[in-house]
This record gives sequence, structure tokens and C-alpha cells, in this order.
Amino acid sequence: MGSSFNILGQAGKHPIEEERRQLVRSNMASRRGSGKSRVKKDKYSVLLPTYNERENLPLIVWLLVKYFGESGFDYEIIVIDDGSPDGTLQVAQQLQDIYGGDRILLRPREKKLGLGTAYIHGIKHATGNFIIIMDADLSHHPKFIPEFIQKQKEGEFDVVSGTRYSGNGGVYGWDLRRKLISRGANFLTQVLLRPGASDLTGSFRLYKKEVLEQLVERCVSKGYVFQMEMIVRARQLGYSIGEVPISFVDRVYGESKLGGNEIVSFLKGLLTLFATT
Amino acid sequence: MATGADQVAGMSLVAFSLLLFSYYTVWVIVLPFVDSDHMVHSFFLPREYSVILPGVAALVFILCVGLFVGIVTWKNHKPKKMD
Repeated sequence: MGSSFNILGQAGKHPIEEERRQLVRSNMASRRGSGKSRVKKDKYSVLLPTYNERENLPLIVWLLVKYFGESGFDYEIIVIDDGSPDGTLQVAQQLQDIYGGDRILLRPREKKLGLGTAYIHGIKHATGNFIIIMDADLSHHPKFIPEFIQKQKEGEFDVVSGTRYSGNGGVYGWDLRRKLISRGANFLTQVLLRPGASDLTGSFRLYKKEVLEQLVERCVSKGYVFQMEMIVRARQLGYSIGEVPISFVDRVYGESKLGGNEIVSFLKGLLTLFATT
Repeated sequence: MATGADQVAGMSLVAFSLLLFSYYTVWVIVLPFVDSDHMVHSFFLPREYSVILPGVAALVFILCVGLFVGIVTWKNHKPKKMD
């Protein structure tokens, strides 16, 4: 009765809603096997912002269809192509013919407009009540999605984040320099922001739709810092964050170098966040 | 699991930090309680250095960070100005 606490020890945002959820859960438990009067089914919208992913897109769609199919959850894949010159959109249209227009939605844009706006654009067209964001270049493996979903159900989390720094999460394909920089950045972030999550710059996450809407509205930064800001703002607004260890496989071709530029803009963004939250 | 070379690098980092930490701890916390004519004092620098050395190291570190940020920002502005 009264206040409810989630696994992270934060007070529930809406105690009344929490009570209602618990009532529904116990009702469902008592009626298990007897009736089909369930609450509205969950649907998961996967947002795939793409730019020149012509070769990776069929693979990732196939993997998504496979793992969602096996898990039995309802899903849709929203491909947000930013005017890729290599014909990614054509490939996406062919995939739509194969898998059906109800599973694969195309919402392209004319030019490269950035990740935050891609999310906003995707959310507007998403019909699911959960949104999964991930990279379309195969650095995130869809096999972790059922784990995300299960984790979310376990703790009724508002956000589930894939972490490379805890449990048996990790990275494949990084050299020592990259790993050191990543660990150093993460350490600095933990000290300055105390976020309550082990991986802040990761972009493989599951959000409740309304939570993502709220967060994207409030975020002002770009790039790595954008992902960090999402988690920090989520903590600020009292949302619960769960974690699932994932393996991140860095792109095998054309090693994405982390230059001085990225480091400096990351530091600037970090200090800004530190000063403003 | 990290590759062999990375594991070696990691372990040497850990070993070095442990070494440094133990040396500094003994120097600052244990030695004051040891008689001044004991042999062990010959292994450690005079006490002032236990403050000067970390201070200098911190300064050098801040300098390097500042230089790095400065160089990167300068390189960023140069091509833009040339346009």
C-alpha cells in the first residue's frame, strides 16, 4: 500500500498505477488457464535508422524476423532511411514484399538528418507500445531482444539498456587503444554523472513508447552524448532502468576510427551534462 | 575473453598500479611509525617528495589534457577558416 519501490530502489512514479498493475497481475495469475480476458497485448516496434546499409539490411531483417518469430511476440520493423545513395531504400522495398507490409514499414527521409530526429519520426509511425532501438550495421545482434523483453517484464522497467560493461557483456573487434578510451570515458562518466547504469553510450535499448517520447523531447545533444543524455534524463525523471549484458561486434570492414575530434566533443558534452543535470 | 596481448597489457597495468599504491602507502602511512635509524628508510625518498611528486604529476596530466584539447580544437578551426 502507499509507496512502491522498483528494483533500483526508486519510488514508483504513479503509486496508483502500480497498484492497478499489481491487481491486474494477480487477477491474471488467478485466472491462468481459465479465460482469455487478458490486458492489451504487447507489440514491439524496432526502429532501424539506416544510411548506406544496403548489404546489412536483409541480414538484420532476417535475424529480427527469426528471433521474434521464435519468441512469439508481436512486432514491426520501421526502416528510416535517410536518402541513402547506395539503394538501401530499394532493398527495403523488396524486403517489404517478402515479409509483408505489416511487419516492415518504410518511413524514409530525403537526407541525413540525424539520430534524434530519426527516432521522433519513427515514434510517430510506430503502432507498438514498446520501442527497440538498435544499430542496423550488425554490431547489435537481435538474439538479445527476447532477453530484453524478458528483463522488462521481470521488473516492469521503463527502459532496458544493453550493457557492454557488466555481466558477460563485452566488445569484439576493438584494439587496446579503443578499449582503454572506452573504459576511461565510462569511468569519467560514472564519476561525474552517477547514472545508475553501467553503459551509457550504448544504443541497443528497449523503451516504453511514452517514455521514449518524453526523453527525446527533453534531450538537446547529439551523437554519443545523445545516448548518454537519454539515460541521465531517464534517471532524472524517475524512470526505472534495467540492464542486459550484450556483445557488441564492431564493424569488420572500414574500422570506425575514434579520432581526437570525437573525444573532445564527447568531453564537451559530458561537461555540459554535468553542469546542467 | 580479451586477446593475449591485451590481457598482458591489462595485467601489467594492474601490477604497476598495485606497486605504486603499496609504495605510496608504506611511504606515507607506515614509515612515520618506524624508527628513523631503521634500514628501511633508505628505500624511500625524503618525505617532501611524497607531496611534490603527485602534485607535479597532476599538473603534467592537466597540461597534457589541455594541450590535446587545444590541438584538436585548433585543427578543427583551421580548415574551416581556410574555406
